Amino acid sequence: MSDLWTDRLSEYLDGELPDDERTELEMHLRHCVSCGAVLADLKRIVARAQGLEDRGPERDLWPAIAARIGAAPRREVRRWSFSLPQLAAAGIALMALSGGAAWLLHPAAMLPLASRPLAPVSAPQPTGQPLDGLRQGDSQAVLAVARQPRGSAAGYDAAVADLERVLEAGRGRLDTTTVRVIERNLATIDRALAQAQRAVAADSANLYLNSHLAETMRQKLELLRQAAALVSSVS
Amino acid sequence: MTPPGTGATTLQHEPSGRTDPDAVDATLAASGDAHAFERLYRGHLNRVASLVRRMMGDDDADDVIQDVFVRAWQKLGTFRGEAAFGTWLHRLAVNVILGRRETVGIRRKRHVEGDAVLALVPGRRATPEISMDFETAVERLPDGARQVFVLHDVEGYRHEEIARMLGLATGTSKSQLHRARMALRQHLER
Ligand SMILES: [Zn+2]
Repeated sequence: MSDLWTDRLSEYLDGELPDDERTELEMHLRHCVSCGAVLADLKRIVARAQGLEDRGPERDLWPAIAARIGAAPRREVRRWSFSLPQLAAAGIALMALSGGAAWLLHPAAMLPLASRPLAPVSAPQPTGQPLDGLRQGDSQAVLAVARQPRGSAAGYDAAVADLERVLEAGRGRLDTTTVRVIERNLATIDRALAQAQRAVAADSANLYLNSHLAETMRQKLELLRQAAALVSSVS
Repeated sequence: MTPPGTGATTLQHEPSGRTDPDAVDATLAASGDAHAFERLYRGHLNRVASLVRRMMGDDDADDVIQDVFVRAWQKLGTFRGEAAFGTWLHRLAVNVILGRRETVGIRRKRHVEGDAVLALVPGRRATPEISMDFETAVERLPDGARQVFVLHDVEGYRHEEIARMLGLATGTSKSQLHRARMALRQHLER
């Protein structure tokens, strides 16, 4: 099976045999089937070693490293800070943020609200007052509002008005670029809102148009919440 | 196939004359920018983690990975950019691993058991997870053979460098490599 040359095959493969020994080994390989088979395997092992895939650790090690090098933990900073591209994309991105919020604005007849999952409010309330009684997660309050479409609309209007006040009061603390981005987003959403309202007025039984309107309203509320959170984070 | 004299003996991660994409972040990080350092961490994590795992096994891997990056942060001032940041980090990682190996290695059973352990490595054939089996087989090699194998065949270091890093004779590095490769033969699918 193995002979004197078997143990030199790795060196041969790696090009590390002196010339005379290499010539001798090559002669040997012409008739030694066993060494030929081992050499073929060694080549495959080297190829396999070079093709091994890199894999990261199971858990995120950065927080621990950040703590050890004295860097501020990112997560807490990130929570209420928004990059401009994020704000610019808010019209789309916000949809994903709080899927359960549609109850607040939706005409009660349109969806079985009791069965909707109620996600926690994703932005902190800027003040204690305005959204009390409409806090999500309090399903009794939610249902009470949901069964009264007018009350729901009034709650929405109040929440919007209140958030707009917070934003107005705090806008001086935001830099002008941020304010511009927020205003542009609000203008876009308001246009979409007007459009959706007109569509619903023309075809009030249309389920799709109604949920589109509700979604647009929700987006506006969410954008205002985030903007208000931004104001309070820089205050 | 790898012809003799190429492939395994060339260092795969030397800079190839192009600009190092990490240079800016390395400079920022050296001046104390932790966000820049986090980008470097994310970019090189998988490679460092795999090196650590293959050299040391899973048990202490997370600790050692953290040590590598903490040490890198402390030593960033010595990074002069004459090699790519990845190469610099890689060498630093090897040093951390080898330093750690001296304290951890002693309590490893397989360190003393040597060849006996090789016989315990299950050899599976032609299974879909064959590459995973190969990875596992590498991790179960005896320390000496495994470290030489990982540094030479996976990482592309030369025997002279390995011998210097591990404090071995070059001939020992070569024979350990051959020993590791021969042990891994049974994990090739037929
Ligand atoms: Zn032979």
